[in-house]
Amino acid sequence: MNTVFHVTDRSVPLSAKARSRWPARLDLLQSGTGLALGLFMWGHMFFVATILLGKDAMWAVARFFEGYFFFGRSLYWLVSLIVAIVFALFITHAALALRKFPASYRQYRTYRDHMAGMKHEDTTLWYWQVVTGFALFFMASVHLYIMMTRPERIGPFGSADRMWSDLMWPLYLIMLFAVEFHGGIGLYRLALKWGWFERGDPDATRRKLRAFKWAITAFFLVLGVATLVAYVKIGIEHAPFYGQPYEPAWVTGGHQP
Amino acid sequence: MKVIYTDVLVIGGGLAGLRVAIGARRRGHDAIVLSLVPPKRSHSAAAQGGMQASLGNVIKGQGDNEDVHFEDTVRGSDWGADQQVVRMFVNTAPKAVRELAAWGVPWSRVRQGDRDVIINGQKVTITERNEAHGLVAQRDFGGTKKWRTCYVSDGTGHAMLFAVGDQAIASGIPVHERKEAVALIHDGSRCYGAVVRDLVTGELTAYVAKATAIATGGAGRIYRVTTNAVICEGIGAAIALETGVAALGNMEAVQFHPTGIFPAGILVTEGCRGDGGLLRDANGHRFMPDYEPEKKELASRDVVSRRMEEHIRKGNGAKSRFGEHLWLDITLLGRKHIEHNLREVKEICQYFLGIDPAEKWIAVRPAQHYTMGGIRTFHTGQSRTLKGLFAAGEAACWDMHGFNRLGGNSVAETVVAGMIVGEFIADFCESPEGELDIPMALVREAMQAERAKLDALLNGHGPEQADRIKIEMQQIMTDKVGIFRTGADLEEAVDRLQKLLVRSRNIGLRYKVDGPNPELVTAYRTQKMLKVALCVATGALARTESRGAHFREDYPQRDDSVWLKRTLATWKDPSDTLPSLAYEQLDVMSMELPPGWRGYGAKNYVDHPDTPNRASALASLREKMQGADRHAVQAAVMPYEHLLPERFRGRNERIDEKLP
Amino acid sequence: MSDPVSTPALRKLRFHVLRHDPRDATSVPHFQTYEIEEAAGMTLFIALNEIREQIDSSLAFDFVCRAGICGSCGMVINGRPGLACRTLTQDLPADITLAPLPAFELIADLSVNTGKWMRGMSERLETWVHSLQGDPDLRRLEERMDPDLADRIYELDRCVECGCCVAACGTARMREDFVGAVGLNKIARFSLDPRDKRTDNDFYELVGNDDGVFGCMTLLGCQDVCPKDLPLQTQIAFLRRKMARTGLG
Ligand SMILES: Cc1cc2nc3c(=O)[nH]c(=O)nc-3n(C[C@H](O)[C@H](O)[C@H](O)COP(=O)(O)OP(=O)(O)OC[C@H]3O[C@@H](n4cnc5c(N)ncnc54)[C@H](O)[C@@H]3O)c2cc1C
Ligand code: HEM
Ligand code: HEM
Ligand code: SF4
Ligand code: F3S
Ligand code: FES
Repeated sequence: MNTVFHVTDRSVPLSAKARSRWPARLDLLQSGTGLALGLFMWGHMFFVATILLGKDAMWAVARFFEGYFFFGRSLYWLVSLIVAIVFALFITHAALALRKFPASYRQYRTYRDHMAGMKHEDTTLWYWQVVTGFALFFMASVHLYIMMTRPERIGPFGSADRMWSDLMWPLYLIMLFAVEFHGGIGLYRLALKWGWFERGDPDATRRKLRAFKWAITAFFLVLGVATLVAYVKIGIEHAPFYGQPYEPAWVTGGHQP
Repeated sequence: MKVIYTDVLVIGGGLAGLRVAIGARRRGHDAIVLSLVPPKRSHSAAAQGGMQASLGNVIKGQGDNEDVHFEDTVRGSDWGADQQVVRMFVNTAPKAVRELAAWGVPWSRVRQGDRDVIINGQKVTITERNEAHGLVAQRDFGGTKKWRTCYVSDGTGHAMLFAVGDQAIASGIPVHERKEAVALIHDGSRCYGAVVRDLVTGELTAYVAKATAIATGGAGRIYRVTTNAVICEGIGAAIALETGVAALGNMEAVQFHPTGIFPAGILVTEGCRGDGGLLRDANGHRFMPDYEPEKKELASRDVVSRRMEEHIRKGNGAKSRFGEHLWLDITLLGRKHIEHNLREVKEICQYFLGIDPAEKWIAVRPAQHYTMGGIRTFHTGQSRTLKGLFAAGEAACWDMHGFNRLGGNSVAETVVAGMIVGEFIADFCESPEGELDIPMALVREAMQAERAKLDALLNGHGPEQADRIKIEMQQIMTDKVGIFRTGADLEEAVDRLQKLLVRSRNIGLRYKVDGPNPELVTAYRTQKMLKVALCVATGALARTESRGAHFREDYPQRDDSVWLKRTLATWKDPSDTLPSLAYEQLDVMSMELPPGWRGYGAKNYVDHPDTPNRASALASLREKMQGADRHAVQAAVMPYEHLLPERFRGRNERIDEKLP
Repeated sequence: MSDPVSTPALRKLRFHVLRHDPRDATSVPHFQTYEIEEAAGMTLFIALNEIREQIDSSLAFDFVCRAGICGSCGMVINGRPGLACRTLTQDLPADITLAPLPAFELIADLSVNTGKWMRGMSERLETWVHSLQGDPDLRRLEERMDPDLADRIYELDRCVECGCCVAACGTARMREDFVGAVGLNKIARFSLDPRDKRTDNDFYELVGNDDGVFGCMTLLGCQDVCPKDLPLQTQIAFLRRKMARTGLG
């Protein structure tokens, strides 16, 4: 297409070469992966937190994802597959987000100074999003790798052993905070970025979204810490029996090791 | 020596300058625009009210046309205007609005059906016609018979300036920002361009051009209290004056506005008083009824301004660190009214005074507002005495405002003059006169002269401080050459300004760097501003009558028998301390509207001997042509269309006046 | 009702002003402190002029309209970009830090070259009405426009190019080529204007990239500092949706 536009004394053809469609696609993909991961994490937190309802509940959820209740046995590769999909999302998201990272120390400094001067919440939040994202890059990779390669060890005892005996709890604790902040800020930003829920007064919407975001983050942090404590407690009790999987009473007929 | 060549050098990037440049550019001439600031920051952006053009779209504008606009403008000018120029103007103004509409100005539009408006404090329902729906709307403005002022919500000047500025960018016109023309290059009969100082580096450059146009806006800052931007210092007028050849016309014609907030001078709308706001003095006394028992606060702009100054002079002003002022009290209107109908005023009070006008009084004082005078030109915009020099906009005395300009007529003038003068400049460039033999020696001399002046300031050790002198000048102008003028005050002013001018030749700088040095800028500008101020003061002293905004307490009558003429000020020799005044007679016998009563204000004038003759000649001509088309009558009375550039001739279509 | 003319108690103000002349090889950026007495209704315009008149005649800053209209006087006031002429000292603490707007070329002290940046942005985004015919016949009635649409266009046309939104934007600070909220708002303005015949595809050419709308990280500093209260958040989101749709289509 090569339209000619008129301006006072001359006609200017707008550049005929069509620009790449990729920036639009990548932007959507970044938001899309972010959204998918963010929503996945909400679900994830609840699934993992089923431990608070008891070992049986957690056991059931873990088996559920292994297809145990459909096929009558655990297909561990199913879990590996799910993890692989999430891993892919995660890597795609990280790769896309990396474009937004400060590209040099100078840029990083500029942003820090800017943020310090502005004292502006959304500006500061973005910084924390980058920092937490960066941290997740390492921590979540470890977590995902383990989940993918040892799916059979997911369960009330397996998970608890990993937490305590394998000394994963410090990592989880940091990761918990990182992911909750990162995901919360991310979802909030997503809503503003695309103008969701904007009806009427955008300022009011933004205030409400921000309040909602902090509430969600607080909720998941409380839930997550409680969950972590629950696993650690089980992990301490179960340490002498490290490696033994959990068998629910209704499966073993009440016999427990 | 750095020299830049172009066809058309436009000094000033406001509405007038940009439109001139676009006009020349579209005719194929290269143009460069110079501006002290980024062009979109020019003071044109401050015009909020609107632009007059007789479109007659709104119901209250029905029946409006060029004839009505013409009469309003001439009466407004107190017959000081050049009537042919006014004709050119009123015929082009609708075209200007339409051009701007096509360029993207989001003019407020007419909505068909009923709406409520306030007229004279009364709520009235008016009904807009269906066939007007979506056309450019007009609002009411002082001094007009019809609603004629086209507007863009509360940001007319801003929207216009941005649209025109963007068109200039689209046309690829370079704007050299933060450059100041400090002298014109000329040989006494032709102008060759300007010596230009870079305000960032201090470097001087010669801009050499076939035609040079000055569109530098008003000179409000020669006054201490003004609504004008801080860059409205009249430097464009001053450099024309300093040629010794070009003349400044009617510099004594200065308009004041009653309610500038004090001390900043920022304008608050007349709506405050219209809605019932009161003026009070230091004691809280409402003083306007003492002076104007009938109209009180609602007397006309110049009357209220005069009374306020008078009251301050009697010692009733409230004192503050920045001087004396009065109070505008709108607390009685109630918070609801203020927050709904006077929102802008509320914001100004909040941002600039830190007060809530629903609870506290607003400090106000009349403020200088508009410079009717300027570089005297022909209808083409070309100086009458210096070939190749053009002027447009507030800096020019083209002369469509005479001694008082109507609200809304000045932004209209900027674009209309820009359109017309732009064409004439192109004509000039294409004519043999436009050809340029560049006298390099002259250019070098001009550059050296300016360099020497700056060096003298930079290296001098004179005892005088630039900003002190400037403030003193501003104070004299505000106190003595203000709204109320008397022979004694004006004499004192002329005397003191002259002394200041002499002192200003002895300025020593504390900060002696030639780059971005605000003190140096103040120093050389003050020297120039003093000359402009002296033109205002001497012109006012000489004019022993009252006309339009020029009010002499000692000569309250308008005296057409003596003063139906334009003041022309020139500065013959750089060492002079006074301008030379001469006069240009207005010819009553060729006027379309011979002098008479303005229809408002005092009916207090002495007729010109020709006035009755002209009036009766016109009456008989009109009688003869009874029934003829209004255009035909007009053409018989005072032909003007031949003066317009061809592009802009032709009638204007209206809802009620269809074009074939 | 309080006394209609009383004024609050006055303080001694300390201005810490970032001084630097980039053209002077010996100049190092540093803060200089000036003390002046506060006055009723004192704005930064009044204060800075007083400093220049009475203490330091070399201090460089820009004011034009001094009425909050022209956008010349953007500077960083206690960390945040804003228009100095309409900032009252009474709304600030006694210690006031002033710095030039970052992201723009420094001229000296508090004066920056926003004009050059804005002209570059305008040329790049072609911020003018693009019509398909040449000049309209100026003698004829103007083209009609819906009154509400005219108002909506004016809402976005109110930008004064002060540069505050650029200075307040972390993205613009990190990436020089980012067009900023001001540029994105302009595109939103022209895409709303029926007189501009450019299509979404044409606009995509201009801002459908990471220096344009996809570069915005929704930091919203722009929204919070814009002295004209332009709906930047809404407009950028709107443009992002539109450009994403165009990009996919
Ligand atoms: C508060 C206020 C409200 C107003 N409201 C209205 C209104 O509602 N309606 C109306 O019709 N009129 C109004 N006016 C008047 C109107 O705005 C001005 O008369 C008009 O805009 C002047 O335009 P201009 O192009 O002549 O000059 P300006 O817009 O003042 O432009 C002058 C240009 O010249 C440049 N310049 C100056 N000196 C030099 C130099 N030495 N070298 C290089 N460049 C230089 C400046 O940088 C600037 O770009 C108002 C005025 C004020 C003060
Ligand atoms: C390697 C790990 C990760 C990194 C480096 C990372 C980085 C980032 C960055 C820098 C942004 C901001 C992008 C922008 O402002 O345009 C972002 C956005 C986002 N992230 Fe992550 N992230 C990571 C993992 C995650 C995870 C695990 C989640 C799920 C909770 C998540 C959810 C989001 C969401 C919802 C957004 C908003 C999307 C958008 O702005 O388009 N991220 N991420
Ligand atoms: C499909 C992919 C995933 C699976 C199957 C999975 C599974 C689990 C399981 C089983 C636990 C319990 C502890 C353990 O067994 O080690 C856990 C905890 C945790 N996971 Fe994941 N996870 C997945 C993806 C992620 C991702 C992408 C993140 C974030 C970046 C994440 C963050 C966490 C955190 C923070 C905890 C600790 C929870 C708490 O303390 O409440 N997980 N996950
Ligand atoms: S969008 Fe607002 S902050 Fe940005 S330049 Fe325009 S007016 Fe200034
Ligand atoms: S601050 Fe910058 S990142 Fe976007 S929302 Fe505003 S332009
Ligand atoms: S000086 Fe014009 S906005 Fe401040």
